Amino acid sequence: MKEKTDVRQGTLALMVLKTLDVLGPLHGYGIARRIEQISGDLLSVNQGTLYPVLLKLEQEGAIASEWGASENNRKARFYRLTRDGRKQLQAETRDWEQTAAIIGRFFAAKAEDLK
Amino acid sequence: MRALRRFLKRLATTVMRRQNEERLREEFEEHLALQTAENLRSGLSPAEARRQAVLKFGAVEAIREDYRDQRGLPFLETLIQDTRHALRRLRNSPAFTITTVLTLALGIGATTSIFTLVHAVILKSLAVANPGELYRLGKESRCCWWGGYSQENEFSLVSHDLYKHFRDNTKGFAELAAFAASWDLFGVRRSGSSEAAQGYPGEYVSGNYFTMFGINPYAGRVLAPSDDRPGAPPVAVMSYRLWQQRYGRDPSVIGSVFTLSDQPVTVVGITPPGFFGDTLRSNPPDFFLPIVAEGEEVSKPESAWLDLIGRIRPGAQPASLEAQMRVELKQWLRSHWGDMTANDRARFPQQTVFLTPGGAGITSMREEYEHWLQILMMVSGFVLLIVCANVANLMLVRGLERRRQTSLSMALGARASRLVRQALTESILLSLIGGAAGLGIAFAGTRLILHFAFPSVSGMADIPISASPSVPVLLFAFGISLVTGVAFGIAPAWMATRVDPIEALRGASRSTIRTGSLPRKTLVVLQAALSLVLLSAAGLLTAALHHLEHQDFGFDPDRRIVVNFDPRLAGYYGQKQLPPIYRRIHDTLTGIPGVSAVALSIYSPLSGNAWGAEVWADGHPHPGPNDDNFVFWDRVTAGYFDVIGNPILRGRGITEEDTSTSRHVAVINEAFAHKFFKNQNPIGKYFGRDEMGSRVYEIVGIAKDARHLTFQIDKPIGPFFFLPGEQHDFSPKDGAEVSPSSHFLRDIVILTKPGASLSFGQMQQAMASVDPNLPILSIHTLREQVAGQFTQQRLIARLTSLFGALALILASIGVYGVIAYNVGSRTSEIGVRMALGADRRDVFRLILRGALALISFGLLLGIPLALAAGRFLGSQLYGINQYDPMIIALAILVLASSALTAALIPAFRASSISPLQALRAD
Repeated sequence: MKEKTDVRQGTLALMVLKTLDVLGPLHGYGIARRIEQISGDLLSVNQGTLYPVLLKLEQEGAIASEWGASENNRKARFYRLTRDGRKQLQAETRDWEQTAAIIGRFFAAKAEDLK
Repeated sequence: MRALRRFLKRLATTVMRRQNEERLREEFEEHLALQTAENLRSGLSPAEARRQAVLKFGAVEAIREDYRDQRGLPFLETLIQDTRHALRRLRNSPAFTITTVLTLALGIGATTSIFTLVHAVILKSLAVANPGELYRLGKESRCCWWGGYSQENEFSLVSHDLYKHFRDNTKGFAELAAFAASWDLFGVRRSGSSEAAQGYPGEYVSGNYFTMFGINPYAGRVLAPSDDRPGAPPVAVMSYRLWQQRYGRDPSVIGSVFTLSDQPVTVVGITPPGFFGDTLRSNPPDFFLPIVAEGEEVSKPESAWLDLIGRIRPGAQPASLEAQMRVELKQWLRSHWGDMTANDRARFPQQTVFLTPGGAGITSMREEYEHWLQILMMVSGFVLLIVCANVANLMLVRGLERRRQTSLSMALGARASRLVRQALTESILLSLIGGAAGLGIAFAGTRLILHFAFPSVSGMADIPISASPSVPVLLFAFGISLVTGVAFGIAPAWMATRVDPIEALRGASRSTIRTGSLPRKTLVVLQAALSLVLLSAAGLLTAALHHLEHQDFGFDPDRRIVVNFDPRLAGYYGQKQLPPIYRRIHDTLTGIPGVSAVALSIYSPLSGNAWGAEVWADGHPHPGPNDDNFVFWDRVTAGYFDVIGNPILRGRGITEEDTSTSRHVAVINEAFAHKFFKNQNPIGKYFGRDEMGSRVYEIVGIAKDARHLTFQIDKPIGPFFFLPGEQHDFSPKDGAEVSPSSHFLRDIVILTKPGASLSFGQMQQAMASVDPNLPILSIHTLREQVAGQFTQQRLIARLTSLFGALALILASIGVYGVIAYNVGSRTSEIGVRMALGADRRDVFRLILRGALALISFGLLLGIPLALAAGRFLGSQLYGINQYDPMIIALAILVLASSALTAALIPAFRASSISPLQALRAD
């Protein structure tokens, strides 16, 4: 069994935003499943920990939620991205890519490059 | 921005808690249902599918906890929870709650009521527009008139001429206003009405006075610069207070003519309700008149009687204004070089002015009462400290009683910080309730203090200090409650968590360790020490008051009545009118049955007035600029010394033979004789007023030193002289009369026959038969007048004694509490001792020894503090030894005996313990 990576809360929030951006409105379970699938089971998320993150995002106005019916016709809460959330996602994506690029360059650098 | 939105959301969700809890439950349920369904599809058994779903979801309670922390404001929620919890606990022990709240209310109330006075007298600005822009001339407040072209230390009072010089040349002031340093009483009557004239205070102010303060009229108009020009029609502005109380807000008052001391004046407007003028004083003025209306002093450049306050222009620097005014002063003085005396010229280089913040107006009251208020603030602070110690002690006992519950909570995993917080919430809640109750006590207390400190004069305005709490006072009370709550709560709260769960859970009060006994004893020691300080301060102040009241005044205050009036109020002026009216008053009053003798003076002993002059004793060189030749004097009618009971030691007093045509004479007191004539016999010698020469008055008698002045009351009586009522002095230089207004004799002293009782009505009737237009301003006995001089001292001594008694009671309760608790927790130990052969006396001694140790430590700590307090009182003790061993010994005795009495009760109880019962107890 391979080691699973722990997820930082900020990262999880970004994943939630991206998931909702790509797939549109989803309930909590759906979001959890997507994150699991996309990360290829590499990320171990205690699924429940998603809910505090959803709450925080909703309080910040990045996402909104309303009751709806799930695929098996049960009452479920659906989350969707708001305009603010989309902006936040764009900004954070940019930040993330920048950081990743910088770190990438550092890793790619060889000893002679640093002279 | 995002954080703010989140905070508001969280605040909202805190309120709608239940709803959210439901939503969370439903979401979790839905999540698990979906996961279970998925697991079923992948072939797991229903039970296993559900189990796996739950496993994958994670620890539900932890997530829920996390969710809750995210959702609401945990701090606020805990606070609400703790408050509810504390309220419930307080409700469960009403006796404890009521005792604590009452004790706290006393402490907080006393402190708040003193703070109300401190705020009004020391901290508050005038009720005018932008008081921060106001600056006034002078560092100290001076009263009331200063003559000549030089002043000591600084020029703080100015003449009308100098005011105009400053006003016209100092451009940094948007407005510079002047006003008289003292108010005058006017006999006021509405023209055409038949009412008797009544005395009301009025103040002369410059035409721009109201504009400078930014005060708009309540009705009509305020004074304008055009009213303050020579030849302008005479006008006045009336106070809202008088308009409301005397004239029922009658609009026709505005525009009607009033007679103010026999001069017709049109009232043009009413000041707004909150405005009481430029100075906080016990009887604020009811009329504001233009300076030119004063007449006499306006044209004299050497007569300084005006205070100055100005509003500076935005951006103007007070420091550069001050420098500029110093130059202007020197310019002005040089332009009067010819009028200056040699002494004035010699003092010229030192003459200067200071500009100080003027937002609080003329702060004579602050200067007078600052030290008193500091003493009271200190005393009430000590009471509050003792209250804190007392309540802390109660809380400690409460904490001990709850020990088992606390240890159970800790054993179940409660964090210590949470328990401390819970206990602190309880104590702060208690002190806030106590503070709210204390506001009531503060209101009543402040009213009482104001009533005693500034007795109201009928018809006149009261001192403009409100007893009802203002916003700063409320804030103070809230702050002090909070601090108090933390102060008495923090130690017990911390102590409560210092329990060993196992020790407590083992149950049974078999514990041999007397937990929490040391801090409780420390608190009692502290209480005893503070009480000793208050008791000895009360003793010192009371002794000082006794010393003041029972000194040898040099006159006899018994059987003497003082009637205060002013001949000017009925239009009596000058050499022609005044002597006849005095004679008529004398004859009419002497005719009342029971009256033995009557005499008049400018001011009777200890009436609060004072007249001073620089003298030149014959045979001495002319006094130089640094010679101390300033003495006080009075003008009196024939027989005055007998009437006030002041013995003549040599020669004679002022008699009927001293008329306007006879040689000018004077009677001096012993101090005068000693200062200017050393070992010679002064009878037949001469002295004069400095400006008149040295051979003006022939000394015809020496009176025993008597206390006439109300200041320097702790110093030996200084030189004093008396002139006859009918003799007028004229300056040899220009023939002008010297001190003409000293002929307005204001105090009639009546000596009654032994055993005769005289009603005030009789005297009022007699005065009305002299002239119905002559208002009597006040009537009281000389004894009352003397007592009235010590009103403040008496108030302070009584308040301190009251606080001292309160402290004593609280400290005794504290001692009782600690000893009683110790006896309670040592019941079984005492039982064992007695079973082993100790008799009742041994037990009694054992308990009492503990109490004695506490008290001794308290005294040991208290004595140096009490000595320091005596030092702090210092000048307020009027010559009483500030380390008076008798008083401190007495305080120690009182404290020790009442504390011991408090300890006796539990000691007796301990000695009556039955060993059998004690051992059976648990």
